[in-house]
Amino acid sequence: MDYKYIEQLLERYWACETSLQEEQILRTFFQQEEVPAHLMVYKPIFDVQQEQGEASLGEDFDARMLQLVEGETVKALPLGGAGNGAVWRRSWRPFYQAAGLVALILTIGLAAQQSFNETEKPQQAQYAQTDSMESPVQEITPLPEQQAALTIEQMDSMNLTR
Amino acid sequence: MLPLKDRLYRLALRITLNPAEAEDAVQDTLIRVWEHHDEWEEIESIEAYALTICRNISLDMAGRAGHGNVQLSTLSTDSQLPTLNSQLLPDERHEQKERIALVRKLMDTLPEVQRSIMELRDIEGKTYQEIGNILKLTESQVKVYLHRARTNIRQQAEKIEKYGL
Repeated sequence: MDYKYIEQLLERYWACETSLQEEQILRTFFQQEEVPAHLMVYKPIFDVQQEQGEASLGEDFDARMLQLVEGETVKALPLGGAGNGAVWRRSWRPFYQAAGLVALILTIGLAAQQSFNETEKPQQAQYAQTDSMESPVQEITPLPEQQAALTIEQMDSMNLTR
Repeated sequence: MLPLKDRLYRLALRITLNPAEAEDAVQDTLIRVWEHHDEWEEIESIEAYALTICRNISLDMAGRAGHGNVQLSTLSTDSQLPTLNSQLLPDERHEQKERIALVRKLMDTLPEVQRSIMELRDIEGKTYQEIGNILKLTESQVKVYLHRARTNIRQQAEKIEKYGL
């Protein structure tokens, strides 16, 4: 069998003058069982090319990749949809965090104040219950100013009716 | 995107020489390409773009792993192993497998640019122009590197043939 063509191809291969198709021919040639002894030297080189072309990622790569991506984009996608939005949102994240923190402190502060006020309220209620006047009579008899106001009003109404 | 992953993986593996690191590189690449997906329309070839990113990430990783010194020293000790094995198992088929393993190691000892170009040309079947795009080199530069890589592998293979494994 004549191997002139293959030899010629090989020479051009070393010189980087072969086309992609010719390189594929060489690979297929070296794939076959019967390779002449003097060309056997180069068989491993092309076998490696064939073999390395089959190297691939494991089945679980996709799953892990999805897991990784979900952590990053699922939060952003339903809202913004675009990757642009996600990037924008990420750059604003510190501000959101700061705003959240301020809101949290305010809420806690207000709640604390509220509960503090509540402890004061019973005292006020107590004041409402206790008498500020010394005797019931004092309470019933109107104060002089009240009396004065009343009389003026009474006079007014009398004037009007007249 | 996903049909690309194995191609990215092979390139990353060729550069980092470490399956775990190569996998991380592919993940990072896919994420980075995705983050820039609003620019996809402006990019000529997503594949070339992804491969370029993948190469840069892999180079970073390989650089962090001790400038390749560690890998080279472990490789040189590894390449002693087939010598021992061939004495134990003179089986022809096995010998062939060892030769393949040896050539693979030869490829791994090439400088990174040569390795990447060889990967893209001889394994992924890319044109010189495409490789130039990915590696940011001119076509003639690609050819020069590839020529060096092929000559190197050829000489090593002939040496092994002459002096035995």
